[in-house]
Parts: sequence; C-alpha cells; structure tokens
Amino acid sequence: MLHTVLVFAPLVGAIVAGLFGRAIGDRGAQIVTCGLMVLSALLATVGLFANVGEPARTVPLLEWIYVGSFQADWALRVDPLSSVMMFVVSFCSCWIHIYSVGYMAHDKSIPRFMAYLSLFTFFMLMLVTSDNLLQLFFGWEGVGLASYLLIGFWYTRPSACAAAIKAFIVNRVGDFGFVLGIAGVFLVFDTIQYDTIFRGAAGMANSTIVLFGTSWDTLDVLAFLLFIGAMGKSAQLGLHTWLPDAMEGPTPVSALIHAATMVTAGVFLVARMSPLFEYAPDALAFVTFIGASTALFAATIGLTQFDIKRVIAYSTCSQLGYMFFACGVGAYAAGIFHLYTHAFFKALLFLGAGSVIHAMSDEQDMRRMGGIWRLVPVTYAMMWIGTLALIGFPGFAGFFSKDAVLEAAWASHNAFAHYAFWLGVTAAVLTAFYSGRLIWMTFHGEPRADHETMHHVHESPPVMTIPLGVLAVGAIFAGWLGLGMLDAEGQFWAGSIFTGPDNHVMHDMHEVPFWVKAAPFVAMALGLGLSYVFYILAPDLPARVASAFRPLHSLFYNKWYFDELYDLVFVRGAKALGVAFWRGGDQGVIDRFGPDGVALSTLAAARRAVRIQTGYVYHYAFAMLIGVAALVTWYLVFVRG
Amino acid sequence: MGFDLTPVLPELFLLVAGLVLLVVGVLTREGEAARVVATLSVLALVIGSIIIAASDKSPQLALGGHYVADGFSAFLKILLFVGAALAILLAQGFLHDRRIARFEYSLLVLFSTLGMSMMVSANSFLALYMGLELSALPLYVLAAFDRDNLRSTEAGLKYFVLGALASGMLLYGCSLVYGFAGTLSFDVLADAFGAATAERPPALLPLGAVVGLVFIIAGLAFKLAAVPFHMWTPDVYEGSPTPVTAFLATASKVAAAGLAVRVLMHPFGEWTAQWQQVVVLISIASMLLGAFAAIGQANIKRLMAYSGIGHIGYALVGVAAGSERGVYAVLVYLAIYLVMTLGTFGCILLMRRQGQYVEQISDLAGLSRQRPMAAAALGVFMFSQAGIPPLAGFFGKLLVFLAAVEAGLTWLAVLGVLSSCVAAFYYLRIVKVMYFDEAAEPFDTAVHPAVTGITAITALATLFFIVWPGPLLRAAGAAAAALVR
Amino acid sequence: MQAYLAEYLPILIFLAIAVGLAVVIVAASLLVARQRPDTEKLSAYECGFEPFDDTRGRFDVRFYLVAILFIIFDLEVAFLFPWAVALGDIGLLGFWSMMLFLGVLTVGFVYEWKKGALEWE
Repeated sequence: MLHTVLVFAPLVGAIVAGLFGRAIGDRGAQIVTCGLMVLSALLATVGLFANVGEPARTVPLLEWIYVGSFQADWALRVDPLSSVMMFVVSFCSCWIHIYSVGYMAHDKSIPRFMAYLSLFTFFMLMLVTSDNLLQLFFGWEGVGLASYLLIGFWYTRPSACAAAIKAFIVNRVGDFGFVLGIAGVFLVFDTIQYDTIFRGAAGMANSTIVLFGTSWDTLDVLAFLLFIGAMGKSAQLGLHTWLPDAMEGPTPVSALIHAATMVTAGVFLVARMSPLFEYAPDALAFVTFIGASTALFAATIGLTQFDIKRVIAYSTCSQLGYMFFACGVGAYAAGIFHLYTHAFFKALLFLGAGSVIHAMSDEQDMRRMGGIWRLVPVTYAMMWIGTLALIGFPGFAGFFSKDAVLEAAWASHNAFAHYAFWLGVTAAVLTAFYSGRLIWMTFHGEPRADHETMHHVHESPPVMTIPLGVLAVGAIFAGWLGLGMLDAEGQFWAGSIFTGPDNHVMHDMHEVPFWVKAAPFVAMALGLGLSYVFYILAPDLPARVASAFRPLHSLFYNKWYFDELYDLVFVRGAKALGVAFWRGGDQGVIDRFGPDGVALSTLAAARRAVRIQTGYVYHYAFAMLIGVAALVTWYLVFVRG
Repeated sequence: MGFDLTPVLPELFLLVAGLVLLVVGVLTREGEAARVVATLSVLALVIGSIIIAASDKSPQLALGGHYVADGFSAFLKILLFVGAALAILLAQGFLHDRRIARFEYSLLVLFSTLGMSMMVSANSFLALYMGLELSALPLYVLAAFDRDNLRSTEAGLKYFVLGALASGMLLYGCSLVYGFAGTLSFDVLADAFGAATAERPPALLPLGAVVGLVFIIAGLAFKLAAVPFHMWTPDVYEGSPTPVTAFLATASKVAAAGLAVRVLMHPFGEWTAQWQQVVVLISIASMLLGAFAAIGQANIKRLMAYSGIGHIGYALVGVAAGSERGVYAVLVYLAIYLVMTLGTFGCILLMRRQGQYVEQISDLAGLSRQRPMAAAALGVFMFSQAGIPPLAGFFGKLLVFLAAVEAGLTWLAVLGVLSSCVAAFYYLRIVKVMYFDEAAEPFDTAVHPAVTGITAITALATLFFIVWPGPLLRAAGAAAAALVR
Repeated sequence: MQAYLAEYLPILIFLAIAVGLAVVIVAASLLVARQRPDTEKLSAYECGFEPFDDTRGRFDVRFYLVAILFIIFDLEVAFLFPWAVALGDIGLLGFWSMMLFLGVLTVGFVYEWKKGALEWE
C-alpha cells in the first residue's frame, strides 16, 4: 500500500496539473504536485528504513498481458535496491519540484512544467520498482518521453527542439539493443519475470547460442544487448552526444533528469540484472572498458567548456562512467553507492548553477561571469559544498563513494580492472581541475559581465535556496549514512544485488595497499591546486597552455569531434542513402508501380463499389439473392466438388 | 423436466421493466415522459447487467431446452446491455434537439435488446428466430423514428423490406435443416447428423442441411451487414437518426455475430470444413468492400457503415478459424468494436452548427483548433479503428489474425492486413481533415453532458486498453471456453 | 417417403374440400340468383373505399390502426377458446401462462387507450 501510494502519487499530481492546470491555476498546480511529491518522498524515506536488509517481495497491482507463454503483470518489486532508488528519486524530485516553484516563477506555462516533472517522477519510479523487463521498458520509454518533453519545454527555441529530437533519436539506438536484449531474455528463459530469470541464470552460464554462424556465450550476448540500452540512457561513450545538448531544458530538469535520476537508469539496470551479468565475464569486461573510457573522455571535454551547465553535464557523463566500471568490476554495490551520493551533489551543483544563471540574468557563459561571490553568498557556499563532494574531498559524500569505486577497481580481477583504476585516478585529477575552474571562473576574479547585469545580481529567494541547503546536507552526510551499502557480507542488500561465488571484490577492496587508498586524495589535491594556479594565481596561463597544445585543446574543446563525425557518417550518410533510394528506388520504381498505381486503382475500385449502391430496394434484394445463389453454388462446386 | 426460470431472470426482468415503463411512460406528463423513461430504462439495463454478472456461469437450460444461459451468452449480454444503455444516453440530447423526444425510443431499444438477449441465448432454431424477430421489429421502427423526415422513413422502410427478405432466407434455411435433422434443438442437431464418437469421425453432412446452413448464414449476414447482404447498410445508416445508427452498428451486430458464432460452433462445430469456406468468402468480400467503398464517401455516417462492414469482415476472420482461439478473438474484437464505434458516434453527435446536426466529413475541418479534446477523441477512435498500436483496435485485429494463422488460414490473415492498410487511408483522412484543413464555420459550443461523457470515457478506454486488458481478455477467454467444449 | 407424405394427406383433403366448396358457392350464386346490378350495389362496402380506384390514392391511416388492433384482440380470443377447453388438463402452469399473456396484452391496451388510438377523431 505504502509503495503503491508512493509510486502513483506523482502520477495523480501530473494528471491533475496537466489536465486541470487551467482550472486550478499556477499556484494550484504547484501546490498539488509539490504536495504529492512531499508525500511520496516521506513514504520513500519510511520505505527505505523498512526495507533495508529485507528480502525482495512483490506488490501485485494489475494483470497485464498474457499471450501464450508470455506473461507480464503490473507489479512493484520492493527490495533494498529498489528502495534506495525510490528514495533517491523521490527525495531529489521533491526538492527539485519545490526549487522549480521559484526558478520557473516567470514562465508562462507553469502547470505544464510541473505536470511533466511529476510525470517523469512517476515513470522513473515505475522503472526502478518494475517486477519484469516489460514494465521496466515501460518506465524506460516513459522517462525518455518525459525527458523529450522537458528538453523541448521551451518549444519556441529551435535549439531546444533540436536537442529534444537528438536525445530521442540517440536513445532509440540504445533502445534497439535493449529491446533485442529483452526479446533475447524471453527467448532464452521463456519469461521476463525477474525472479525466474535470476533463478535460471546460473544454469545458463557457459551455454552458447549460434548467431551469424558463430556460437556465442548466451549470457554474454544478453548482457551485452541490455548494456547497449544502458549506454544510451546513461550517455556512455559513443551514445553520449545527446546529454550535453539536453542542457537546453530548464535547469531543474537538468538537475533531476540529466544528473540525479534518469541517466542513472543504465547503472540501475546493470545492478538489477547483476545475476545475469555475474555469469557474463566478457560483457562485464566491456562494461568496465566503456565506463572507464567514458570517465576520462568526458572529463577531458569538461576541462575546456565555458557553458556552466555543459561543464556539469560532462562531469555527469564522467561520473556515470565511474558507476559503470564499478559495476563492471563486480562491485555493483559501490556503483549504486556512488549513484546515490552523486544524486545529491550533482543535483546540488545543477541547482546551484541554476541559481547563478538566475542571478546573472540568464547568462550561462562562464567567460562573462566572475567576481560575484560576495553578492550571492548562499549560492556560493552551496556550490563549494557540491564541488567538494564531487571531487571527493575527505568527509564529503563523494569521497566515500569515489574511493570505494577506485579501490574496487584495483582489487578486482577483471581484464580491464587496472585500466579502469588508472583512468579513474586520472579522471579524478581532471574532475578536481574543471570543478575548481568552474568555481574560480564563476565566482572569483574580475567581474566580466556588463554593468547592467552586475547591477541586477541578487541572491535567489528562499524557495530556491532551501532546497539547495537540504541537498547540501545530503552532499555532506549521504556518504556517512550510506556506508552500510559497502558491507562486505552484503547484508544491506539482502540478495537484491547478486555477486557470484567467485566474486570477492567487495571484501578485497578493503584490503588494498595504502597508496591505492591515498591515490584519489592526491589526485583531487593535485587537480584543485592546479586549477587555483591556472585561474587565480596566473590567469594568463590557460591561454598559453591552450596555444602550446593547440591540437589537443581543440580536440577537447570540440568534444573529440563526435558530433561532426556522427553528422558526417550517420546524418549525411543516411540522408544521401535516403535521397538515392527516394529518387531512384521509391519514386522511380515503387511509386510508379506501387502506391501511385495502387492508389489510382484503389480510387477506381472505390468508385465502382459506390456505383452499385443505387438506392433502390429491388437492386439490394436482387444482390442478396444473387449472393445466396453464389454462395450455394460455390459450396456445391468447390467444397463438395 | 422442471420449470426453473432462474436462467431467464435477466430477460424476464427486462420484459417486466419494459412493460411497466410502457405504462409509466404513457401515464407521465408529455414533457417529462421521455426523460423519466430513459433514465429508468438505463437503470433497468444496468440492473440486468448486474443480474447477469452475478449469475451462475455454468451452462443451464431453460424453457424446454430452447434457451441456454452460459458464460458465452453472459459475456455478450453484458456487452449488449452496455451498448443499449449508452445508445439511450447518447440519444436524449439529439432527440430533444430534433423535437422527437418521445419515450418510446428508450422502450424500443429496451425491447430490441431483449430480443438480442434471446438471440445470444438461443439453443434452438425456434428461439433463434423469435429472438431475431423481436430484436428486428423495434429496429425497423427505430430507423423510421424521425417519422416526418423523408430519409428516416425511407431508411425504416428499406430496412423492413430487406429485413423481411433476410428473415425469409433464414427461416427457409432453418426449415431445410429441420427437414434433414428432424430436430430444432442445437444440442440434438449434432447427434442427429452423426457427430464424431470414439469409434468414428463425424459423418458427412447431408447436402440439403448444408444448403440450409448457407441460407442461415445469409440471414445472419444480413444482420451483420456482411457482403453481399450489406446493401441496406449505407442508406439505413445515413437515414436513421444518429443514435439509432449507433445502436444498429453496435448492439445489433454484436448480437448477430454472437448468434452466428453459436450456430456455427455449437451444432455445426464438428463440420468446420463444411462452412469455413463460405464464411471466408463473406469475410474477404466484407473486408475488401469495407476498405474500398468507404474511400469515396463524403457523409461520415455512410463512412461508418462501410467501416462497420469492414470490421465485421475482420471479426469473421476469427469465426472462420473455427477454434476456441478464434471465438475468443471474435469476442474481444466485438467488445472493442462496440466501445470504439459508440465513441465515434458520440463524436458525430458533437458536430452541430447553430443547432443543426451536420454529417459531412468536410464539416470536420479545423475541429482540432475549435474543439481540441473532441478532435483528439475522434483521432483516437480513427487510429484505433485503423488498427494502429498501441490502441485497443490493434489488439482486436491482432488476436483475430493470430487465430486465423493458427487455424492455417495465413493467407486470409495476410489479406486482412492488406485491406486494413487500405482502410487506414480513409480513417487517417478524417484525422487529416480535422487537423490540417482550414475551418469553415465554428461548431456550437453547447454540448450535451451525456454525449461528452460517453465520448471521453470510450476514448480513454480505447487509449488505455493496453494498460489493463486483463479483465476483458479473461472474460472473453472464459466465454469462449464455455462455448467450445 | 410414402409414409412421410401420408402424414400430409389430411391437408390435401382439406384443400380439396375448401376449393370445391368455394367453386360450388360461387357457381351456385351465378347460376341460381338473379343478376341485376345497379350503382348502389356496385358501390363500396362498409369500409368506405371505392372498389376500383388508383392504387396510389391515399386513404386514412386510422383504418390500418383499427385493423391491427382488431387482429391482436382477435388472436387473443383465438387463443382463449382452446385454452378454456383444455384448462382442466394443463393445470396451474397453463392458467398462469395465459394470465401472463393477457397481462401483456392489457399493458398494450392501456398504452393504446392513453395514446388515443381508440378514438376515431
């Protein structure tokens, strides 16, 4: 009951605000959606405490689809993993709803915005509580839809529409793999229910299926396909291009969807399917490789960007890489732990950035900021807390989780474990550097904005700063409070995260050499110090370095030319191919003999069919008699012969 | 043999309610009678549905074995009662606007529904014919209900004359079968013709019995508006008052389809091969005509007539399968068809300009800007009727085609898919007119709450069927299992 | 087949007698009675119609109404006679069945009365 209310309260809010927004007004829509989100968050907190260490149970809702042996019901799966996710989702969502009241105060369509936010929250909760892969897919597509709607929320801006479409299409690529994965699971296990799949996974280990004439390890193929879906949703290397563009959406959206919750769905998927992944060593190696590469790759781009939201977006991409390689090396718990702490400090950073943008009259370029820290003291303090948590300053949330992830990478025996460790440490240096750069450029130095803007700089109202404060508390203490998740015996998870009999990484990670434990701290200190030198002590240094390493800098600055490459290969290639087919094949051959010809003969047939309809009763009666005679004749001639 | 009337309780209740309401209506003041009787009729239908829902679903014979109440009839009766209740509710505003608000409308619907209820419970040719006539006679009157309107009276007359012809064919078929079997009872027929036993396969049906069966199919096909017995449909649909058209298009067809399924599957269930081809022929002809002839239509009610012909073609694909899966698919299809069609007629009833009802497709131009919700609802119905996933109509077609494929009629399923592609053209044309054409005159903003409510509910049901299809599918499955034992 | 047709023999006899009787009566009136037609004798019967007229001519719908009502109650009586004769054999069920039938007819009667179908003007 508790969980049903928890999951469906946001849906009710979305329906009320969405359909009756005009009737209840802006204020009414805000009160309804926020109120229901607070309720949901409270229940999620209660649920978290109640479910930790408890075995999984299922709350049935409705029966859904029964076709042959294919069965799927609406049900909520309640276990520690889903409880943690529910808590993260509804807690962040609740405070971001409240923040939006202030941030979107001057927007023209507040009920629509609040409805979308609540709708997103509902789909995300459905995703994390799903009991089978189809319901997961329902939530998966639902959050994609909500993300599309929210990125394109300001639909009059062409760039917002383009970004929304890009997010949707890039995600389709991932979803293609995901759907194939679900179909594959059904093919292999004859069910899409988690329980049955998990029970059968061990038995399927080392079995093979034949694809394209070669035999492959069954579970590797399935895990690989599912991971393709996770890569799309979580913006991993190759399918990451939509995430930075998604920053076209309003800032609370970036905080909720593109930092704290939706993009972590891929990590959740890998953790949820851990019983499958544990028996798929090659797929795990692939996960590790992609995660570690993304962590470093996104950090390098973050170094050079000037849009404050894009820096944080690339940082998100990079942190997601950490989560993935944590899962890849078998430390799913560490991955989820990092997901959980990351949600707090990344939401905080985004909301802080939103507060800065708000203060700077909608300016997002850091080159036109600076010197405002005295004017917005609360935002400034909050941004520092978020930054320290992100770079892993001792005592802050990110410190615990990032250390855990890197230690697990060192301790694991995965083929790419050490690759992941070294890339992770390097990325930690870069993370500290670009985070420091963000703080210095935004708040310190000489004011670079015009006089008009500087004159208007003001601290945000309490409805925005209070959520910042709450998330800041989370960014500081979430690490302490969540340490239980790393418990080597896995009592916290009570089996909701599976680790194979040979997987001792959660145990081994506590026994790594001292220098491994110290490495993240050193990396952090190095990066932060360097950024201080670059942007405070010697402000002309960045330009000199950039020109000294011109090719490297422009590679990073232009995001490794991924967008250009995709544009060249896929967009233009597809267009050229399309035009060729269209002109040559479609118009020339198919249309002439197909649709156009068929359409013409269809119309002719339609006209003839109508002409029979004379309106005279005796014609109609005659047709009936002829019909009976024809049927009897047919029967006598063809059936009885 | 006892004289237990419990199985007939729903029909008895409707009969008594109808008689009482007749007296109530005639004794109430002129101005109020229509409203009072309509309300009470809907109440009676609701209570009737509850009685059925609460009744024992195991097969029970009554009235000397001429009548059977089982899961199959219960499922169809609830559909019929719901359809009839909605047809009454839809009509009130319309009749009032046309100044023909007479209480007899509700009663005629009620009595016709009673006849349909008898049809789906018929267990002998006698009960079949009685139910059919009881359902048809009020329909003739209803078609001509707007008696000062030339088109309406013409519709009534045409329907009556052709209906009489169809009844004649049906009776002739019944008498042929009786002549060869010596019994009217469905239960005994199969044995009389030499049904399969443990020792031998079923005997070959006598030639005359099959010819009789073809005549029976023809008579039922008339009620179903299946090709080539469909000729009355466009004229009658166009001429009848719109709510009557809605009733004709839904409840009447559901009852006839149910009856056809029972006759073919119960007494002749072992001779599927004998009638399958006839049903397949009718099905193909209906699908194709429904798809092609609708394209040229300008009047939306005529369009719905052809659309309904097409839908019956698809439903017959399931009948042709001749299996439990087929019956199941037909039942699901009928239920979804009923909901979609009532909703569409609800949308048609929303089309009013300066108090006048308009029926041309071109009148829908620009509806999306004036009445976005109505346009969205009609859009949902059109997409659903075209069979586009994930709307309800898609699942109906999917199940029917699956059943056909399982029965080895793959080519029939392929034909069905092809003709539904053609049919999609005219459904989508309506959407195009609503959303992309420039508006002519604005529609009236004042609407009847019952019409709006029914349209909204049916649209939501069509749209969100995929979320919770369980109850319908389960009920249809049980009903199919009850028939095919 | 022979036995099967034998069942219909009474009907054949009945038809033969009916046709024979009709022929005899018509022939007798032609042969025996005096034939002296005048305008009064050739005019319409009580129904008020000209015997020979254009078929498209309209006439009052009230005639139909009366005719239909007559048929209904005529049938009622036709049912009542055998029922009354056999009442001793068919018992309570037979009694109540007829009561039900009469009840239904009464409802119809009430309806037509209140609707004014029984008044000519």
